Amino acid sequence: MQIKFLVVGLKMYKNLFQETFTLENSTAYETYYKLGDIFNFLTDDLIVDVENSKSASYFDAFNKPFLENLKHLRNTGLPHKYQEQFNHANLAKLYGLDILSRKDRELSFDKFDYLAVKNNTLVLCDGEILVSNNLGTRKPFNIQILDKIHTNKSRQLEYVKYIKHTNNFSNLTYALSPFLNIVVFPAGSKDRFYKNPITAEYRNVGDEPFLSCNTTIFDVQHNTKVCLKEDVKTLSGQMNNNIYILRENSELVLERKSNDYGGWNIFDSTFICHPKSKLIIDTKNTGSIYTQENFYIDSTYHTNVKIKGRNKIFKGNNFHQYVYQKSNDVDNYSRIDIKNIGNEYADTSFIGRYDVGPFSVNFDGSMNNNNLMLSKNTKMHTRPILDIKTKEIQCQHGCTVSNINAEQLYYLQSRGVDNAKDVLVESFLC
Amino acid sequence: MLKLIDFEIKNVLENINLTFEEGKTYVIMGSNGVGKSTLLHGIMGRPDLEIGGSIEYNGSEINDLTTDERAKLGIFVGFQSPTSIPGLSNFQFIKQSKKLKAVDIKSSLDKFKELSVSLGLPTDWDKRNLNTDASGGEKKKNELIQMLMLNTKFAMLDEPDSGLDVDGIKSLITQLNNWKNNNNTLVVVTHYEKLIQGLNPDSVVLLKKDNVTVGDKSLADKIFSSGFEDV
Repeated sequence: MQIKFLVVGLKMYKNLFQETFTLENSTAYETYYKLGDIFNFLTDDLIVDVENSKSASYFDAFNKPFLENLKHLRNTGLPHKYQEQFNHANLAKLYGLDILSRKDRELSFDKFDYLAVKNNTLVLCDGEILVSNNLGTRKPFNIQILDKIHTNKSRQLEYVKYIKHTNNFSNLTYALSPFLNIVVFPAGSKDRFYKNPITAEYRNVGDEPFLSCNTTIFDVQHNTKVCLKEDVKTLSGQMNNNIYILRENSELVLERKSNDYGGWNIFDSTFICHPKSKLIIDTKNTGSIYTQENFYIDSTYHTNVKIKGRNKIFKGNNFHQYVYQKSNDVDNYSRIDIKNIGNEYADTSFIGRYDVGPFSVNFDGSMNNNNLMLSKNTKMHTRPILDIKTKEIQCQHGCTVSNINAEQLYYLQSRGVDNAKDVLVESFLC
Repeated sequence: MLKLIDFEIKNVLENINLTFEEGKTYVIMGSNGVGKSTLLHGIMGRPDLEIGGSIEYNGSEINDLTTDERAKLGIFVGFQSPTSIPGLSNFQFIKQSKKLKAVDIKSSLDKFKELSVSLGLPTDWDKRNLNTDASGGEKKKNELIQMLMLNTKFAMLDEPDSGLDVDGIKSLITQLNNWKNNNNTLVVVTHYEKLIQGLNPDSVVLLKKDNVTVGDKSLADKIFSSGFEDV
């Protein structure tokens, strides 16, 4: 089977290298591919094409890291089910999902016209970044959007180095969305974007299971305090690879809400925490046909990280979360508190790892994951891992999987509460 | 008000015939493990108990009603060891139980605070998690607040005195006596002499596995002097 680049990332790819590749249109309107098929194309045909392409020198500098990324991808392969960050049963389901190729590859962003009457809103869709009116203007200390490599080449190249070789899906996401979108919160903005939070909406153009990929860097510069509200709506397949840079003395409050609209979603988030930075994450998920949310936190020293997850996983949905924090130096503080509720036939997993380095004295960490199963058909897994390579630290973990407590249920009912189960669920999530 | 006819709870009680009348106070006594608490929870409708016979409340059989439906009729049971529910505040619990409308919240909150202060509970009691990090006495006081806040007509309290200090017992007796009227019924499981004196019950019920003995306050005195076996 000859598979060509049948995902939306193609458009950006063509723009990037200013070349037209020979693409075979799908003969049928609906032709489905698996993630493995796309991977094969990227690491086989595309590498050859990129290597042989006679790109304008304008792009040479960028061509190289992109090619390296593809080669790395080829060497590592797709993430394997026995890798630490995946519950072993997860990936088979993901790799079995159908991804629809599309006959008409023209993108239409008309449905995002509402941005014209909105403030402080970004839409990340199919590798593009669209902004509301007030963000698009050049005002002092307004956020900067670096979204076109040909217009921001030097700045883009500053940031390309943050695309690291990993063993998760982020390299694949980057390969499918070669435009690196960058949002910079300039140092002079102080707490402007904390008082007036920015909303980032992750959307798909169509309702059908086309694949949409975004690679985005959020740069919170020195002495800046930012509140970012992320709203992830996956109507179809979506892969996001976000890198958040928290410069010295900065603070990022990230509120992420991810709702099920019938699609699937892989969201890799990497946080680079510079000294004295503060990171607060608050996530809410409903799961989906397949949701994988990964947090990779790289802490230098004197950093403060708080992660709170409250996930109410709907009936039959999948939700898998991996939290990895690497503490490199002294006096880092971390609190991870994830609570999941699994409805009937829901399948969830939490895997958390503290990687405390030999110089990370006075690390203070607490990792908690509590799971509440609402049905005997629910599957919930939890796995805390503490890898400590130094002394004089304070670290604890607590993970539970439980059912609804019959005594609590009866207690509520004896006071006339007819929706006692719902009340217990809400109480659990508090 | 409430009648038990050939009432039984599998493996615990059998052949219990009892009538609790409106406007009266009852004290239930019995040796340890005889099934006093189970009797109260059987009337309340605890789902894991297998019930036989009939429970009539205001002339209607309520055997088929669920626990929350019985509670809505005004039946209340005060637990011996109330369970804790982290994440649900004491007042939120009342809000959920009464399904308070927005306009009624303030007046209910004021009443809640007034009650909690009168029982010597902390001023932020309404915000604290339900029975979480509370002493045994505080939990018992909380049961009393719930009973007084909810639309209780038939109150069954399971050893409400346990864990209470001297002042707590006084407050408990005062609150219960204030609550009593001709339209409600109070049933208390206790072996505490001062509480029985303070409540001045109309009847004392001695519960055994397969029968009950009903008498006036002198029955309690007899039990205190001779023990259960000799009565």
